[in-house]
Amino acid sequence: MKKNTILLVEDDELDVISFERTLKRLNIHYDLFIAQNGKEALSMLKDKENPVLPDVVLLDLNMPKMNGIEFLRALRREKKFHDLKVFIVTTSSETADRATTEELGISGYIIKPLSYTDNTRRADSMDSFVQFHLTKILNEKGY
Amino acid sequence: MKMKLSTQILFAFLLTLLLSIFDTGSNYLLSLKVERNIEFLNKSQEIVRNSTRLHKTMIEMQSSFRGFLLTQDVNFLDGYKNGRTTVPELLAEQEEFIKDNPTQISILDSIKSLHNMWLVYADILISAKEFSLAKKSPDSYRFFFENRLKKQIGKNINDDISRKFAEFDRVEYGIRKIHSNNLIASIKKTHYFSLILFMLTIIVGISTALYIVFRTSKRIQKMVKFAENISDGHFTTIRDHSRDELTSLSMSLNKMSEKLQRNINELENRNAELDKFAYVVSHDLKAPIRGIHNVINWTEEDLGSELSPQMKKHLDIIRHRAKRMEDLINGLLDYARVRRKTAPQITNVNEIVYQIIDSIVPRSFAVEVYDLPIFFTERSKLEQVFENLISNAVNYTPNKDGRIIISCKEYADHYEFSIKDNGIGIDPEYHSRIFEMFQTLREKDETESTGIGLAIIKRILDEQNCSIRVVSVLGQGAEFIFTWPLNKN
Repeated sequence: MKKNTILLVEDDELDVISFERTLKRLNIHYDLFIAQNGKEALSMLKDKENPVLPDVVLLDLNMPKMNGIEFLRALRREKKFHDLKVFIVTTSSETADRATTEELGISGYIIKPLSYTDNTRRADSMDSFVQFHLTKILNEKGY
Repeated sequence: MKMKLSTQILFAFLLTLLLSIFDTGSNYLLSLKVERNIEFLNKSQEIVRNSTRLHKTMIEMQSSFRGFLLTQDVNFLDGYKNGRTTVPELLAEQEEFIKDNPTQISILDSIKSLHNMWLVYADILISAKEFSLAKKSPDSYRFFFENRLKKQIGKNINDDISRKFAEFDRVEYGIRKIHSNNLIASIKKTHYFSLILFMLTIIVGISTALYIVFRTSKRIQKMVKFAENISDGHFTTIRDHSRDELTSLSMSLNKMSEKLQRNINELENRNAELDKFAYVVSHDLKAPIRGIHNVINWTEEDLGSELSPQMKKHLDIIRHRAKRMEDLINGLLDYARVRRKTAPQITNVNEIVYQIIDSIVPRSFAVEVYDLPIFFTERSKLEQVFENLISNAVNYTPNKDGRIIISCKEYADHYEFSIKDNGIGIDPEYHSRIFEMFQTLREKDETESTGIGLAIIKRILDEQNCSIRVVSVLGQGAEFIFTWPLNKN
């Protein structure tokens, strides 16, 4: 069976490790591609020779060079990426960010644990997101 | 007309002063007139008296003359002889008095000539009588007696003199009458004039005083209102185009208002910046802490039993310090958030308090809650005050036999809430310091206290213009009492 492909757009190394550990802990195997900002993600998607063809994009909002919203806007301008599933994974709880990204078309908006005290609860939500939502969405696509 | 206020007052004062001077002047002129009239009256009396004396002297001369003729006693002639010297003197005196009155002069002249005529007549008769007495020849006298005396020549002259005197006196009384009429008229006129001036003085004085008082008090009231506005935080300006002393006061007030407005704007901007800064900094400071925490967790997960007890202890210390750091940042974040306005809403204080008790008070505590109100207020802030105070009560009270009493008293415009525990209490020496930032009376590692909780409460209550105080003795529990506005609207 072909492994599902995930593109994680995230500049914080710790968040990347955290996500990898979650996948590992839940014993779920994906092909994980990592881009450190929107620009890098775009060039990976549009690579002439060896483009990344993700089933889902997990997108952080606050990044250098090209932030999440800019990337999403650029992505939605291209016809072939119009229906690509994108989840926002961010620490920003600003309603404006949520509204803008929802308008551009997203499959979900997950708020990363902001602090140590709410780490446990949010970590649970991260686990359940990976375990249920992500898996379900990928399965629906028929892989 | 733009006049300085002091000029206006001076002008009004001078106007009333001028009117008073007119009044006094007219009365003074009147008194001069009266004085002159009294002088005239004195002189007139003198004239009449003189005229009477003159007439009397002449009549005496006549009776002395007649006495001599009848009795042939020479002694009778004394009066006549006296008259011959007295009459010219009196006449001269009288002429001096009446020299300004031609009518009287002419009457007096007639009297004089009549008297002279009579003197000629009398002299002839007296000489004739003396001659006949000396010569013992009555005939020579008889001739004169028949031709003169019996023909009543002397009597006619005397009657004429009497008439002339009467006429003279009449003229004098006539002049007196005119004078007194004039005087009465001028007294009347002066009274009338004086009354008008007096009334004018009063009217001008009162109306200018009222005008100035009205103008200034209206403007002062405007300024008072303006100052009140400033104290209420409305930094408007005042309009005043009079260009006088009050205008410069208005200008100063305007300057003050503008300057206050500028400073307060600046202050508000800086406060807002500061709050934003604190918020952003606190927010960004949390990410590295989370990272530290994650790495410690991963290390423990990955190495597990391989970790030496020493290493485990060190990792715990790092985790503990990171936790403390996060608490401090959360405290700062809460402190910065106090300034953010929240919308008031119906608040059930009972409900708030029970929720807090459920989440932070251990079951071993006995909690008593009395009569808490339901009212319209900034719920989240009141909630934070209760949360911090109850959390303090829990932190500073031993779990065994721990007791917390929460109650409320209602006043006309505020509530007074009390949170009382039976914990370790606070030495009165520190009561004034506990509401300052980062003041905790415990050693750093002993508990999770950051010293921000009470500072936040103080800041929230300051914003609401409310107060908090603590009643406590070391070792005998503490009672925190704070007020909260009761907004009737």
